[in-house]
Amino acid sequence: MSRISHLQSPRAQALILLAPAIGIYTIFAIWPMIEVVILSFQRWNGLDADRVWAGLENYRYIFADDPVYWIAFKNTVIWTVLSVIFPPLVGLLLALGLNEKMFARGAMRAIYYLPVIIAPIAVATMWRWMYDPFFGLFNQIMTGMGLQGWIQDWLGDRDVALYSMFIAYIWQHVGFSMVLFLAGLQGVDRSLVEAARIDGASRWQVFRYVTLPALQVTMTIVIVLSTISSLKAFDIVYGMTGGGPAQSTQMLAMWAFTQSMQIFDFGRGSAISVTLLLITLAVVVPYLRWSQKREDAAR
Amino acid sequence: MTDVRLDKICKTYGTVEVLKDIDLSIEDGEFCVFVGPSGCGKSTLLRMIAGLEEITSGDLSIGDRRVNSLSPKERGIAMVFQSYALYPHRTVRGNMEFGLKLSRMDRREIDARIARAAKMLQIEPLLDRRPAQLSGGQRQRVAIGRAIVRDPTVFLFDEPLSNLDAALRVETRREIAALHEKLGTTMIYVTHDQVEAMTLADKIVVLNDGAVQQVGTPLELYDTPANLFVAGFIGSPRMNLFAGEAGPEGIVTASFGTLPRPDGPLPEGNVTIGIRPENLHLTSEGGARARVTLVEHLGNEILVELALADGQKAVAQGPRNHCPTPGDSVGVTIGSEPLHLFDGLGRRIETRSP
Repeated sequence: MSRISHLQSPRAQALILLAPAIGIYTIFAIWPMIEVVILSFQRWNGLDADRVWAGLENYRYIFADDPVYWIAFKNTVIWTVLSVIFPPLVGLLLALGLNEKMFARGAMRAIYYLPVIIAPIAVATMWRWMYDPFFGLFNQIMTGMGLQGWIQDWLGDRDVALYSMFIAYIWQHVGFSMVLFLAGLQGVDRSLVEAARIDGASRWQVFRYVTLPALQVTMTIVIVLSTISSLKAFDIVYGMTGGGPAQSTQMLAMWAFTQSMQIFDFGRGSAISVTLLLITLAVVVPYLRWSQKREDAAR
Repeated sequence: MTDVRLDKICKTYGTVEVLKDIDLSIEDGEFCVFVGPSGCGKSTLLRMIAGLEEITSGDLSIGDRRVNSLSPKERGIAMVFQSYALYPHRTVRGNMEFGLKLSRMDRREIDARIARAAKMLQIEPLLDRRPAQLSGGQRQRVAIGRAIVRDPTVFLFDEPLSNLDAALRVETRREIAALHEKLGTTMIYVTHDQVEAMTLADKIVVLNDGAVQQVGTPLELYDTPANLFVAGFIGSPRMNLFAGEAGPEGIVTASFGTLPRPDGPLPEGNVTIGIRPENLHLTSEGGARARVTLVEHLGNEILVELALADGQKAVAQGPRNHCPTPGDSVGVTIGSEPLHLFDGLGRRIETRSP
């Protein structure tokens, strides 16, 4: 009897519901994170039985001697800045358009969201075909339109490869921002818009003074999530260019993978991962605090 | 002159006609209340006057201008919303000055207007707060303040009291009446609450099913409802309605016997007799027999719900000194007030005293 009532207490029920997830997260997320930090201070080729303590040597190497690390770092920064600006911006514009009453609105929303549910590696493969210099869609279209001068080796030219890849990334991620903004727009009080119209606000002023402030929370969420997902960009690089040509599309996540899994230097790979982890935490921790505060305030 | 004139105003959404041929004229300085049940089109009508809804057909003029295609701002109106619709990220002052700033008004003039309105509404200490820090009543004042500073020619109120609790509702209602007294501006007010309509209005417009049922002063509507709908809608508790048959001897009813013919022409056939609850009296002997089913105490008076012999329900309102208990058998008589008679189509039959 008393055992049953113990199990029925909210605290016990919460624990029962959380236990499997805690177990899985410990094994597959927390432990690997600790392991990576430890590995970053060691030298290991992934096969030997013992790992050699190396101190800060791996860090010294990637910061001072690794010819690729800073290229990957710079590319990751460019990539992140672009990802924070363009997918949210395009997503917001789409959401504003699709928030109006119009023909086939539901279908259009579904279509724009569709790429989000495609596996990133499939997206990478699709776009690699489309970017193919000889048989790809883009160059075929340009030839057909007589624009031979615009033809590029989209993924083979080191000045354009990163941006070509980014176009594919936008295509896949825009739907995600759009859906969040649509939800945000639904939360904009209609009577506020009407009050602003009665106050004499133009369409732009209504957007600027009513809609945009009401979207502030959504915007923070979209930007933070975009930052996080851009920092971990890996599969699209792996699938489209593998980091080339001449490391021009190399990024931190990809370079950590290459160091560990292809060069078999797990120490350096881990050190790169740890730097990426710290950058990500610098974004995530303030965000989590902020959202926690909002949640507490809403209570 | 800022009278408001509606000439054959219609509103359709697709094939659904929500407002049909509304003709109405609201005089300068008048307090006009649109009242009706939910979905009768009263809010839509107000929003059409505001310029928030397009007018499908007909003419709307404010003052001597036809304003059909003018923007809300150009119409010179101000509106107070049910939800207050205060900009949440702006202070009270920011809310009040928003429209004035958009119209590039001189800073000193803006400050002067806000000071004046804030004083009138006693919201001066709140000017630097945000809406979230205000109570419902305070928000409503700010919403009214935002309307006042625009110095509109017509005020529009869309159920402004529905989100307030009962005590505050009565208080704010009085303040709105006082405001109208002070400003003398034309006001159009939408509500579903007939008490609000009765207490505030110079002129009430009763709407149902997208059509005007009757226009008149509160007492005109109460004393001479134009049809069964108005009879049932205006007055609380509702008017009792009984079926009867008009013949040469009088009006034959199931419970009250034959009532004398009123003066004036009375078409023969089925009629409906309307008797206000205060015009039904309980007696211990005589009258129509009825069983008491419910007694409600209003304090000074009681409402007695009755089941008449033929099963019909009725409500009588009277003094509390003869308070029956549910289950009692009582007699019911009709008082001396004039009866309301309606023909088979529900239209009022004009009579003089019975």
